[in-house]
Amino acid sequence: MLNRPLSLWQIPLLLVALALVLFPIFWLVMTAIKPPIDWNASPAIWIPSEPTLINFRTLFDPAAIRAYGVGGVSQAATKAVVGSIVASVSATFLAVALGLVSAIGLSRYSRTNWSTPLVILSGRMFPPAAIAVPFVIIFSLTSLMDTYPGLVAIYTAVTLPFSTWMLKSFVDDLPREMEEAAMLDGKSRIMAHLTVTVPLIKGGLFSTTMLVFILNWSEYMFAQVLSNTELATIPVQLAKYVTATAGTLYGVQAALAVLAMIPLILGGFFIQGHLARGLTFGAIKK
Amino acid sequence: MTVFEGLEAQELTKRYGPKKALEEASFVAEKAGFTVLLGPTGAGKTTTLRLLSGLEPQTKGRIYLDGREVSGLAPKDRDLAMIFDNLALYPNKNGFENLASPLVQRKRPLSEIRQKVYSLAEKLNLTLVLDRLPKTMSGGEKQRLALGRALVREPRFFLLDEPLSSVDAPLRFKLRSELKRLQKQEARSFLMATPDFAEALAVGDKIITLNKGRVTQIATPKDLYARPVDLTTATFVGSPPINLFKGRFEGGALSFLGLRCPCPGPLAKILMASPRDFTVGLRPENAALILPPNEPRPEDIVGAAPLVDIEPLGRTLAVTLKLNGERLTTLASAAVLSRLTLGQEIKFKINEPESVLAFNSAGRNFLA
Repeated sequence: MLNRPLSLWQIPLLLVALALVLFPIFWLVMTAIKPPIDWNASPAIWIPSEPTLINFRTLFDPAAIRAYGVGGVSQAATKAVVGSIVASVSATFLAVALGLVSAIGLSRYSRTNWSTPLVILSGRMFPPAAIAVPFVIIFSLTSLMDTYPGLVAIYTAVTLPFSTWMLKSFVDDLPREMEEAAMLDGKSRIMAHLTVTVPLIKGGLFSTTMLVFILNWSEYMFAQVLSNTELATIPVQLAKYVTATAGTLYGVQAALAVLAMIPLILGGFFIQGHLARGLTFGAIKK
Repeated sequence: MTVFEGLEAQELTKRYGPKKALEEASFVAEKAGFTVLLGPTGAGKTTTLRLLSGLEPQTKGRIYLDGREVSGLAPKDRDLAMIFDNLALYPNKNGFENLASPLVQRKRPLSEIRQKVYSLAEKLNLTLVLDRLPKTMSGGEKQRLALGRALVREPRFFLLDEPLSSVDAPLRFKLRSELKRLQKQEARSFLMATPDFAEALAVGDKIITLNKGRVTQIATPKDLYARPVDLTTATFVGSPPINLFKGRFEGGALSFLGLRCPCPGPLAKILMASPRDFTVGLRPENAALILPPNEPRPEDIVGAAPLVDIEPLGRTLAVTLKLNGERLTTLASAAVLSRLTLGQEIKFKINEPESVLAFNSAGRNFLA
């Protein structure tokens, strides 16, 4: 935690960084409440004079935008929102749960220092696009194309290396004597890990969950390649707001993006308090 | 047949791949006794304790506790308590919860837990930290809390892995006598690992020395000091370290530093049979300076050499003389400091010639 005052040269740097991060969000939120005529007006309109919720209504009622004389898309975003929630939540749960088990295993019970973790990470050593085509073939053969179990499986596989590595670093930081003390005091190995290791890496568990969720939530390529009629996610839906008649429906896109940001912002606030590393401070000699 | 009461290790061996951490260590630690595992870092002390506790499986060997084989049992089924060198207090639990955890995990009734924790907290002077987290406690408090967490239960044996290494010297001194008192008062069975020979000599009923994964000697503190089994042990135990000289056996006497020193009978017998060169060990306290106006008595074994180093140790001085390329360190009272100058030729004598040690070319004590 930062608890010394900022020095003078740090303030302008921070302001620039802040502007870089916040400006796109500001623009996104403004676009979401602009009527179609303002979407790509030139010169650009910074703050709409007549803010409207029509873009948000269009997400769930695609015909609504026609009142503004703009052609819509046929499909409501509802399915994509539900789909994203289902896929991201289940894949995140799986990746973090499996990652936790692997992390404890690698950190505590593996004698190879780096080869196994490296093999796990090798799943991320090439661009995802390289494995998309093989996946399409495998999924077609196994009837996993265009299904949620298929998407959840691939998301889990892709994020598991991250969760394993991140969680491993948290477990590594925790002296093994913590859980060993519990074992001598009467706990089995599994119970010692569940009641001592896991609570002590709670912060790491939350931040890993958050990161994996963000990766899944914003994933576009696999969802696009693997989906047809059954499967839908928010990033795929975002790409659908491009119509032949009216060009890109910027406002509607922005509205969906704003909705998509909400769970991440809430999640961020929720885990902020748990992000303190060095929870073990003071309990062991260093 | 009587069953041995205590902890017994038989040819305990641990290898990590090709690396030998412990080789065929066999020893016993008596029930209600204070046994110390003494050795430098990397000697295998922690490995020994981890094997005994079941936290790691041994490559080979057996472990018995009060006559029952526990070699393959899980840590929780061995009924041992361990204090780790980093203490491993639960950082998210306060003093009370830390102390109570072994009882809670064994599902003791709440009334019993309360009663035991409070009475132990009183005994260990921990009452004031019961509602505080470890991070707010002082070094001594954490140390006592870790001790308390082990003591709260009544396990068959206590394993202590350098338990005092994290506290400052004055506190360590106080805690080690407290540790000894606790052990004796309640007839607890302790096996403690330490790299500090002074600590081992101070608290141990019996000392097991380890070096490079092997048990080198098992002895009482007195015997360990008086009759170290080899050069490594002799050097490791004692401060300033024992003086070592090239020695010869001539005409029934030990000859070293140009002095002739009567040879104790048993040693003479051995040396007579193998009159090769060997190493003589002389503890600093077995030599003394003779400063004017004192004169040596005729029966004294006396030499003289220039003074090359003085190291003040508080009430005493470690004084080093150099003779024929060999160095002799001895102790003197701090009061004589003003009478010493570097380079000055000083007379010295050998005290208790019968306590002189002799080691063969392989470093083993002839009399071990």
